[in-house]
Amino acid sequence: MSTDAGRSLETEGLTKSFGGVRAVDGASVSFHHGKVNALIGPNGSGKTTFFNCVTGMIRPDSGTASYRGRDITRKPPHWIARAGIGRSFQLCRIFPRMTVLENMLVSVRPRTLLARIVSARQRADMERARELLTRVGIDHLENTEARDLSYGQQKLLELAGVLMAGPETIMLDEPAGGVNPALIERIGSLVRSLNAEGKTFLIVEHNMDMVMSLSDHVVVFDRGRPIAEGTPDEVRADPRVLEAYLGI
Amino acid sequence: MRSDSELVTGHGPRGGRTAVRAARLVGLLALIALVIAFPSMAPDSFILSVGVVIMSYAVLATSWNFVGGFTGYVSLGHASYSGLGGYATALLILRADVNPWVAMILAGLIVAAIAVPVGIASLRVRGASFVIVSIALVLILLLVFQSWGTFTGGSNGLRIPRPFSDDVLRPEQHERFFYLHAALLAVALLCWWAINRSRFGIGLKAIREDEDKAQSLGVPTFAYKLVVFVISAFFTALAGGLYALWFGFLDPIFQFSILVGAYMVLMSLLGGIRSLFGPLLGAVIVGYAMEFFKAQYGDTQAHLIAMGALLGVVVLFMPDGIIPALTNLVNRLRPQAASIRELSAAELAEQRREAEAADDTKEEVHR
Repeated sequence: MSTDAGRSLETEGLTKSFGGVRAVDGASVSFHHGKVNALIGPNGSGKTTFFNCVTGMIRPDSGTASYRGRDITRKPPHWIARAGIGRSFQLCRIFPRMTVLENMLVSVRPRTLLARIVSARQRADMERARELLTRVGIDHLENTEARDLSYGQQKLLELAGVLMAGPETIMLDEPAGGVNPALIERIGSLVRSLNAEGKTFLIVEHNMDMVMSLSDHVVVFDRGRPIAEGTPDEVRADPRVLEAYLGI
Repeated sequence: MRSDSELVTGHGPRGGRTAVRAARLVGLLALIALVIAFPSMAPDSFILSVGVVIMSYAVLATSWNFVGGFTGYVSLGHASYSGLGGYATALLILRADVNPWVAMILAGLIVAAIAVPVGIASLRVRGASFVIVSIALVLILLLVFQSWGTFTGGSNGLRIPRPFSDDVLRPEQHERFFYLHAALLAVALLCWWAINRSRFGIGLKAIREDEDKAQSLGVPTFAYKLVVFVISAFFTALAGGLYALWFGFLDPIFQFSILVGAYMVLMSLLGGIRSLFGPLLGAVIVGYAMEFFKAQYGDTQAHLIAMGALLGVVVLFMPDGIIPALTNLVNRLRPQAASIRELSAAELAEQRREAEAADDTKEEVHR
């Protein structure tokens, strides 16, 4: 992946401290364009903080992040979203007192003043929203307020909302957290089919079955920096990984 | 096209929606008729002046609701903008000899311009911090307008000449200003309605629900908040200017009062900040109650105690306001309204079907 076209998200010496704790400690990582990348590591190893630094939700203390060769360090979150990176949140965040369809329409990006003041319910947008809702399997709930959905349905809505924004790279923070096995299966197959259509994935996950079966490239974090990377099999056999996870 | 049978029976979700739409139209027309008829129904000039006060509150609350209702940022300091609107109108007339109506519009624009830096500074903080910051400006303006007596009239107040000629008598004045306030209210409501249905409005509501999440989906949250904040300040200033022209006298202690801002918040919360007519309904109830208490108990603080009690009741029993509470009640009574339970039953069945289908394909894969 040395050509520019293959470059995806890359960081160089990214650091973020909270008080005396270095949550992300000089992390230099690169992810692969067009692949399913996974970021794993024990609890508190800085995965989510790394995620938040890269997507602009928190400002890193030092270091740089770039996406497809473009600098995205310290850019505001909406700017990074427009550069083509969509993300979900740990524990799932949706707009509770808006309907499922309205949740989807938030992701529409009007470019001109006129496009902002027209009705939000444009036919083309609604059709695309319904297509995506059908794809994740909650199209029959479009007029339900999002807070009335089950947790699993909210996770699917969040994913559909991220897709609605049309990102080429999708970062998922614990997509399998707190959902039943059938839904994990559904989310996994969605990731697979979206990747086949060319979407790049970057997944933070604790569910090893899901990570190992889905990913092409795995990066292992410990104490705020990568300690190993490679294919799932390589990573699984790496003694440093075993040590970090199991303390042996 | 909707079929007539649907319209008649009102069955099914689409038929239900048509019925709701028809009911809304009837309600709207009734409201307009009521507003137009009010001055001729008012038994005396005092009641008519109460009507003007309530209308003024309605415009203020509706203007406040551009920020409060869409973004969820509770500003307790909107008296800054109504006060500045009033004073700017008065000073333009007195010191620059501008036509009163032009002065009012100019005042709105000036206040909108002032709201830009204020918004940039204050919209950086959220929640309780924003509430505190919003109050600061009112207190600063109160001191400035009290102390700078040579320009603003100071604590002695400022008298504003009436915009209509002297042969227009008092009741006639009240009637004209009642309709002017109603017209301003209509414009503000129309603007709120247009934003509510727009893409801009969807982005604003997303900010209210979860600002970080909205930003991660590409909504330029800060710019959106700032624009709607300036629109809110503009309408609030127009309301302040119109009130000044009607009342004819400004005193800093009443113009730049935390209480005025608190009334806007209370009225909007009472009626429902997510509803177009919520602030209007709240203004009618609170405005009427306030005048009633003042008439009954004179210059005591009884009306303030009553307001406090009312706010308590709202927060405890109708946290979303009267209009959403009533809508929920009506929806519960309508048999054709789709309940959540109905949906989730259908959806459970579908999930089961899908799960079975998924199991089948998995088995095939394993074979």
